[in-house]
Amino acid sequence: METRRQGLSLMTALCLLIGTLLVIQLWLVAASLDALYAGDVGVLVPAALVSLGMFAVNGFLLWYGADFDRRLKRVRRR
Amino acid sequence: MADDPDSNEQAPRWRRDFPIGWESDHYVSRRELAKFLTLGSALLVGASFAIALVGKLRRAVPASAARIPGGAALGIGESLLFRYPTDEDPCILVRDHEGQLNAYSQVCTHLSCAVVYRPGEETLFCPCHHGYFSCGEGLPTAGPPTRRLPRIQLEERAGELFAVGVKV
Repeated sequence: METRRQGLSLMTALCLLIGTLLVIQLWLVAASLDALYAGDVGVLVPAALVSLGMFAVNGFLLWYGADFDRRLKRVRRR
Repeated sequence: MADDPDSNEQAPRWRRDFPIGWESDHYVSRRELAKFLTLGSALLVGASFAIALVGKLRRAVPASAARIPGGAALGIGESLLFRYPTDEDPCILVRDHEGQLNAYSQVCTHLSCAVVYRPGEETLFCPCHHGYFSCGEGLPTAGPPTRRLPRIQLEERAGELFAVGVKV
């Protein structure tokens, strides 16, 4: 059964995971800019696709958190 | 909850009368933070694709040939400034001590100051932050720059010197 305490741990873990991926995305943007100025345009599209993949993972994690939230509310209503 | 300090019998009365749901508060604030971070993630994806688009558009513009007046007559150890491929792009043409002509973008790859030729040292020097580039290849040799200077490709046609392209 879901509890608010479990939810707090879950949300903390989700924030850490999403934050880590966000930092990697930020690094990718900085590296892409550097590559653009160096004329190394071949790496820009793969970098953008990897960033998109990370966003998809972040979206899934957020959805998972929201789904947990819904389940928690359902349990509390009962 | 049994271990909640707000509902504990030992807690002061004011605290029991006005309980604060810290766990609920932290839960909601972390959920909001997760949403905020995901929004940031979406913005960074947008930025990455915008950079990729700029890269595509830049590559699509071909540079046409442009005559460099006085370029072919440049003496050994001398330099000449010109603009290529547009009037917004300053470049420098150098004839080194071996008589070889080299042309580069004059914009330093560190923070965009204008580089100047130092004939005694056979280097291109950026006076802003003391960056040095080799005259033969345009490679950074000292100072803060880490990327080479874009090379202007040259061609001699009927005694005249032409800039025909930019190799980054």
